[in-house]
Amino acid sequence: MRDIFRKRRMWKFATELKPRYDVVIIGGGSHGLATAHYLREHGIADVAILEKSYIGSGAAGRNTTILRSNYKTPEGARFYDASVKLYEGLGADLDFNLLFSQCGHLTLAHSDRAMFVMANRAEVNRLEGIDSQLIGPDRVQELAPAMYVGPDTTYPIMGALYHPPGGIIRHDAVVWGLARSAFEGGAEIHPYTEVTGLRRQGDRITTVETDKGSIEAGVVLNCTAGWSSVIAEMAEMQLPITTHILQACVTEPVKPFLDVVVVSSQMHVYISQSDRGEFVMGSEIEPWTTYRMQNTLNFLQDLTRHTLELFPQLERARLLRAWAGLCDLSPDYSPILGKTEIENFHVSAGWGTYGFKAAPIVGKMLAELVATGKTPELIAPFALERFYTDELVSELAAAAVSH
Amino acid sequence: MSGGRLAENGGQRIRRGEELRFTFDGDSRVGLAGDTIASALYAGGQRTFSRSFKYHRRRGELCGCGQCANSLVTVDGAPGVRACGEPLRDGMQVEHQNAWPSLELDVMRATDLVGGPFTPPGFYYKTFIRPRRLWPLYEKVLRSAAGLGKLRRRQPEREWRTEYRRRHCDVLVVGGGIAGLSAALRAAQLGADVVLCDEDVEPGGSLLFEGGHERARDLAARCREAGVEILTRAPGLGYFDGLVPVWQGDVLHQVRAARHVAATGTLAQPLVFPENDLPGVMLAPGALRLAALYGVDPGRCAIAGVDDRALETALSLHRLGVQVAVVADLRPDADSELTAALETAGIELMRGVTPVRAGGSKQLAEVQVGPVDPSGRLRGSARRIACDVLAVAGPQAPASSLLLQSGARARFDDTLQSFLPQEAPPLIHPAGAVAGHADAESAMLSGAVAGAEAALALGFGEREDRDRLASERAKLEAEAPTVRRAAPPAKSHDGGRGKAFVDLDEDITAKDVAYAAAEGYDSLELSKRYTTVTMGPSQGRFSQLASARVLGEVTGRPLGEIGVTTARPPWTTVPMGALAGRPFEAAKRSSIHARHRDLGATVRWAGDWRRAYDYGDVEGETMAVHEGAGLIDVSTLGKLIVRGPDAGELLDRLYPNRMSTLKPGRIRYGVLTSESGRISDDGTVCRLDDDTFYVTTTSSGATAVERWFTWWMASWPELDVTLTDVTQGVAAMNLAGPGSRDILAKLTDADVSNEGIAYLDGPQLAIAGIDCLVLRIGFVGELGYELHCAAPQARGLWDAVADSGARPFGLEPQRILRLQKMHILVGQDTDSETTPYGANLDFAVKLDKEQDFIGRWALEHYEERPPAQKLVGFTCPGGEVPTEGAAIVEGDRVVGQVTSSRRAPKLESSIGLALVEPRLAEDGASISISDDGRRIAAAVQTRPFYDPDGELLRS
Repeated sequence: MRDIFRKRRMWKFATELKPRYDVVIIGGGSHGLATAHYLREHGIADVAILEKSYIGSGAAGRNTTILRSNYKTPEGARFYDASVKLYEGLGADLDFNLLFSQCGHLTLAHSDRAMFVMANRAEVNRLEGIDSQLIGPDRVQELAPAMYVGPDTTYPIMGALYHPPGGIIRHDAVVWGLARSAFEGGAEIHPYTEVTGLRRQGDRITTVETDKGSIEAGVVLNCTAGWSSVIAEMAEMQLPITTHILQACVTEPVKPFLDVVVVSSQMHVYISQSDRGEFVMGSEIEPWTTYRMQNTLNFLQDLTRHTLELFPQLERARLLRAWAGLCDLSPDYSPILGKTEIENFHVSAGWGTYGFKAAPIVGKMLAELVATGKTPELIAPFALERFYTDELVSELAAAAVSH
Repeated sequence: MSGGRLAENGGQRIRRGEELRFTFDGDSRVGLAGDTIASALYAGGQRTFSRSFKYHRRRGELCGCGQCANSLVTVDGAPGVRACGEPLRDGMQVEHQNAWPSLELDVMRATDLVGGPFTPPGFYYKTFIRPRRLWPLYEKVLRSAAGLGKLRRRQPEREWRTEYRRRHCDVLVVGGGIAGLSAALRAAQLGADVVLCDEDVEPGGSLLFEGGHERARDLAARCREAGVEILTRAPGLGYFDGLVPVWQGDVLHQVRAARHVAATGTLAQPLVFPENDLPGVMLAPGALRLAALYGVDPGRCAIAGVDDRALETALSLHRLGVQVAVVADLRPDADSELTAALETAGIELMRGVTPVRAGGSKQLAEVQVGPVDPSGRLRGSARRIACDVLAVAGPQAPASSLLLQSGARARFDDTLQSFLPQEAPPLIHPAGAVAGHADAESAMLSGAVAGAEAALALGFGEREDRDRLASERAKLEAEAPTVRRAAPPAKSHDGGRGKAFVDLDEDITAKDVAYAAAEGYDSLELSKRYTTVTMGPSQGRFSQLASARVLGEVTGRPLGEIGVTTARPPWTTVPMGALAGRPFEAAKRSSIHARHRDLGATVRWAGDWRRAYDYGDVEGETMAVHEGAGLIDVSTLGKLIVRGPDAGELLDRLYPNRMSTLKPGRIRYGVLTSESGRISDDGTVCRLDDDTFYVTTTSSGATAVERWFTWWMASWPELDVTLTDVTQGVAAMNLAGPGSRDILAKLTDADVSNEGIAYLDGPQLAIAGIDCLVLRIGFVGELGYELHCAAPQARGLWDAVADSGARPFGLEPQRILRLQKMHILVGQDTDSETTPYGANLDFAVKLDKEQDFIGRWALEHYEERPPAQKLVGFTCPGGEVPTEGAAIVEGDRVVGQVTSSRRAPKLESSIGLALVEPRLAEDGASISISDDGRRIAAAVQTRPFYDPDGELLRS
């Protein structure tokens, strides 16, 4: 309790770039900062994190804070399960309350086809030791008493995939806790420092150019959700990625009555109620590619209409704010993580809507990769190489809106 | 005692004879027609309107125009209503929010009295970390204290009818102050179709309460005469690439204008000093509105400000008959006509002073003012002034949200001490105070210029109009802003205790922002996210500048460098029901659908379609197809006509097999793949004549296939071919079963024998007098004819066939029947990685054909990269029917999944399809299915369960 009386400086942002760092992390979001945090375990401290805006300004600060591990593929489920487990202990590790509420996660099924996908996921998850089950409408009603689960709606609820360990966390707290740890471990955080170019010689990146000057780097990590393909292109490398926007919004706070995360793929909506009482809602990734993070009216109209199918009492709840963020989509909706054709250039990219859920495990794995030079087994399936060897890890069928 | 009504004057909105009765927390209250809820409450002596979010402090009248969170109440069950903007209606039930047990006695007030030091910004990040198992408990406590308004816990359906209205116009003017009215009038006079929207119940903006009401009402009348459509109580919510949604009660106007005029005005800003949230501390326009529009006597007023606006407010209030105690002007050297007027009016003006503390228990009783040093600390002693109201006039801030959303940038203006939007995109014309033209005359001129620019750019007007615009523009630009404004300190205070709020919505004090900055949250965005400053219901309108000033002070950076946060829609918080419009979902129904309903079908969604799943007897319907004849509506199939000399070539490039060699009147199965050789859809192709092919797709894939074809046709302009999607215009039904030939014979004179219509023939015949394309194919595994006809005639055809003895069967029996034949359902028995080889469709891939085709490269490499999974059939000897989606396992390792499973009544066994690792794709291989924890043994079978050689189909 003592802590709350004490002003404790979280970090001091760096202002001058050194000429060289062992590790240069491009992107001061959850992945970049988590990597710096876990590099401490390997005693690697000569690290610079380059962020073109403020820390957590990209996907880390724009996502809807949902965590879960009930993925479709065994590879995915295993990986995200490891992430949720790290998240469970991360608050204590960082000595920062991340407000992780494992309130449970419901993915509604309104059709035979959806029931099929849910059953498959439940089965794969259970075999991976993940608590994930197919439940009927009565149980859905018990878990979400405020939701209308009647047979007379436009899209009757046939069942749901229930994932008790899923839930919501405070995304900014994750960023800040990790940033403090990175800073305390000796890493330099450079906000408002934009990477403008990468100089490549053969199989190596030699120099990272920024708007504040050029630096040499031992290893360069590309942790820039949204701009990962742009950064890769600076290294004369192409990533099989398209960039889209994802939109979300929040209502004015009302007294809480929804204690679980509800997702409906068919209606393209997901919704949860924060500890402040705000309803946080989002939709699916927009099908067009763009870097323009602006909302569309269609989004607001469709999302509210669909949300009201599930929660008619929200018709008088007031929408407070909407925003948009960038999502990098890979061909199989699984990430591109680890080594590339460039020896000292590793990527964490192509996360679609799943990046934030994976932050701690990505950090841990990338740190291990940097420290040992070897790809950890857990992330081997997500290698960029898979698009050449045709060994995809397809989360596609589960993807429609699966936050 | 304050709070009564003032004498009548021309500007008031209230109608004194008309009393309205309403209740506030159950007590009956009286107001007048024309009142807002807040003005009626205030006139009745109510000073506390709400309790604050975190500390549950009393909050009262603040902005007087529906923009702040102080007046949030629940009206007739709807939370979040702004009492100070909401017109009073007879019989309204108004309730307070966020206080228990009552507004007067709120136990959560304890958080303010004792909790202050315990709840610095972000305290929850630093506490309850260990032990983790207790966090859910703490969270429960936090949640129980969260939220403002209350919604019903259960509600079976929407009760509020809302509508969209689409409105296209030449010019949309957002904001009906003098600049907006002037812009609308000029544009309309030049001939443009103009819509003007304003948040208030009438246009006029600040003219209405600053003595210009007659001029405002005259301008509005002239606008109406000129044909301007004026929407009131109608905020523009955002700028979506030229589309502006305007919310007005039950209607969301989607206004698409060729040009926009942003005349959104400015927002009054608070000053920061201890206890600056006491009921009675108001923004200057809030106090003025009470007096001028609603004839409410606010009580004895003190006024504090940084520029002439404070003096103007004092004079206006005085003219309206309100007692003005004193004006505290931060400028040490205020001297103008206004100061003389104050003197004449007998109002004391204190120069070089600002409030350093407000005092009072339940409401304001006194304010202390005095000179302060640059850090805001009182120099010397303060003077106490007894008053009921302190009207505060900080530096006005442009209401620039719409402009910033459209792409304008915010630049700090030292003279105005606020951020002005600059570099607006060419289709949006800023006008009036938001563009820096604050006084009435220059706002009027700037409006006229903006209106003329918009209209002239659209081709309205003549040469002389252009000349006039040019001279007006020159005149406007020549007008140097003459504002003399003092920069207020981030916080002024006397060094004593007490909370000085920068954000009333979120209960954030100046100290909180400074505290957070010292911890490292020293940029506006980080500060916002950490302290939650500006994140409340008023969206930072009254808190962003104040918090930026605190940040500037503690970090030593100028305000211009601190910047502003991104402007986001919606400008005004808007009920979700208003955005949602009608609870309307588009659904597709076949032209035969009414028949299915007559027959009592179970209707469910199948993609976008509403389809008959069964007619109540799945087994009976299934057996009818085996034993007699059945009839199923398959109008949902995608249907494309590909026509032209190169139609065959196009199909050869899209399908892995040959379609160009198909003879007219013959049918071939085809599977579509992506470039990577993955199955995307399947269906049949029938050649109608030399140049014409009739392509069917799956029901759910129809749109995607049409887009796929179109995409590639655009990529191959050398092909002379056209594509027509006839999915909706052509209906289809499948007549199947051993008795189907006899039924067909009754309905046509054509030769329907096995020689007349052979398997995979596609003749065009009249059936029951209706022109049909008859496709002899066998999806369900029995002799069958798919009859395609014009949709309007389909119900007649259906009746004729059914009356001849075919029993209607639904989707569910069809699924059983096709499963017996191992006919795949794309998307169910295939996933995103399945290739034709994986789905045993090798026969549909012709690698020996000359053309390149989509997916060829990937399919050619099949030898090198065999599919990860192969589709096989299986039977469960134990008779269990595993859940579709269940896993195939070896130990605990997943090696596949069940894609389809059913009990087949004809075979009296449990059958299914599964995707498994190729090594398991052997007849007789035993596999283990993990289904919700139980294990089911199954045996692999690679040939169809029913009629494996297709003899029935061909006979």
